Amino acid sequence: MKYMIMMFGGLGATLENRTPDWITGMQEHMMKLDQELRDSGELVASSKLIDPSQARTVRFQNGVPVPTDGPFAEIKESLAGYWIIDATEERALEVAARVVEYTEFPMEVRQVMHL
Amino acid sequence: MTTHDFEDLLRELAPRVLAALVHRYGQFDACEDAVQEALADAVRQWPVDGVPDRPRAWLLTAASRSLVDAWRSDSARRRREAMAGVLEPVEVADQDDTLVLLFLCCHPALSPPSQLALTLRAVGGLTTAEIAAAFLVPEATMAQRISRAKQRIRGARFTLPSEAERPERLGVVLHVLYLMFNEGYTTSSGPELGRADLTAEAIRLTRVLHRLLPGECEVAGLLALMLLTDARRAARTDHAGAIVPLAEQRRDLWDTAMIAEGVALLERVLGSGPVGPYQLQAAIAAVHDEAAKAQDTDWPQILALYDVLVQVAPGPVVTLSRAVAVAEVHGPRAGLAALGTLDEEDRMAHSHRLEAVRAHLLERAGDLTAAGESYSRAARMTASLPEQRYLMLRAAGLRSPEPPRA
Repeated sequence: MKYMIMMFGGLGATLENRTPDWITGMQEHMMKLDQELRDSGELVASSKLIDPSQARTVRFQNGVPVPTDGPFAEIKESLAGYWIIDATEERALEVAARVVEYTEFPMEVRQVMHL
Repeated sequence: MTTHDFEDLLRELAPRVLAALVHRYGQFDACEDAVQEALADAVRQWPVDGVPDRPRAWLLTAASRSLVDAWRSDSARRRREAMAGVLEPVEVADQDDTLVLLFLCCHPALSPPSQLALTLRAVGGLTTAEIAAAFLVPEATMAQRISRAKQRIRGARFTLPSEAERPERLGVVLHVLYLMFNEGYTTSSGPELGRADLTAEAIRLTRVLHRLLPGECEVAGLLALMLLTDARRAARTDHAGAIVPLAEQRRDLWDTAMIAEGVALLERVLGSGPVGPYQLQAAIAAVHDEAAKAQDTDWPQILALYDVLVQVAPGPVVTLSRAVAVAEVHGPRAGLAALGTLDEEDRMAHSHRLEAVRAHLLERAGDLTAAGESYSRAARMTASLPEQRYLMLRAAGLRSPEPPRA
């Protein structure tokens, strides 16, 4: 099974008032986990998205699609990045838990549908 | 002969074999596929049987054979055409057609990503899988991009551009090589290791171009720029892959041989012809590289070079870099004032760089609150992960009482 592990929020939401040590620690934590998923062959894909403040949303307005500045969801609910791993749900939850343990910020785990 | 040696040999021969085939049969598209197959054969057989006495002839024969095979499996009409030509021995053209090939791959009808991909495959002799890995896209995507690019230039003639077209076409070739270098250089840290290869490949191809066109000052200038920039590779990132700014780099890690080569190249060409943007950027890099300590940097000299660069090749990135030099010579407030000369459109397009430079100058001017806000804004705007990490740390360092991590 493939699962997408999603992280939300912009830089402002997670990093405001954090110390440089905390930020460095988080980066090391994430890179270590990412490397572990690569090395084990579980990682299918992963991406980090630019800060949601830079997002543009195309909306249907007055009968035409119109690009507008800003994300679709609120910034703290906007997708920030994801891993897709090929593993059990239990393992996906464990990976998410290891991030949440550090950031104290929620992550979502959802199965990827197959064709 | 080690594996490394024969791979170098293969990649040096690849464009020449391809050019010889195209001269004989036309059909760049089919010939290019055939050469890739011949290269794959060589990679399989040479380590076992040894490198043949005449490696280029071997590759030509192998490529011709696979061209015929491809035609055989094609329609009957094309088979007859093919057999008529291939039964005669293939003459190896003596002239080096690598240049013609380079111009063809950097055809103005192609988009820059396609020019890059095609150059790496047809001139660089890289496989589609290797190119896809370098650009972090799926192999199928890259295969499609290359195949589209080849279709697009199907009608182009396999000759050097005319004298009238030549300066502009050479400009495109240099730009493609410059993009290739930057693609590898700006993202060669962290987990994306393979990308350093793009930098090496850009240097290798620019060397080839310089050998073919020794009198072109900008070709020499670009090669010098690459060498003088890449010389700092080992010092650019720390053990954790984080960016180390130029002023804080360990200069003993710089590659002195590369610096010496770059400086020698520059000395040979500067003043011998029209001075272009690559020579000027190389000259600026050389001034940095020649300072034993950051505080020894000859900033007035760098500012003088930027003043010329602004005339020769104005642009927002040049304005931004010049502002840094202005700050070093005349103080951070003067640098901030120089940033104000960017026009509105350029400010939008280069906003994260602008914010990063502004933050740096505000910090030096002692306005720490505004600097912190600028660093945070820049961090939110950049699409580069290592750059974002760096900017976030600077912002956090200004917020907290402890100094930022060096």
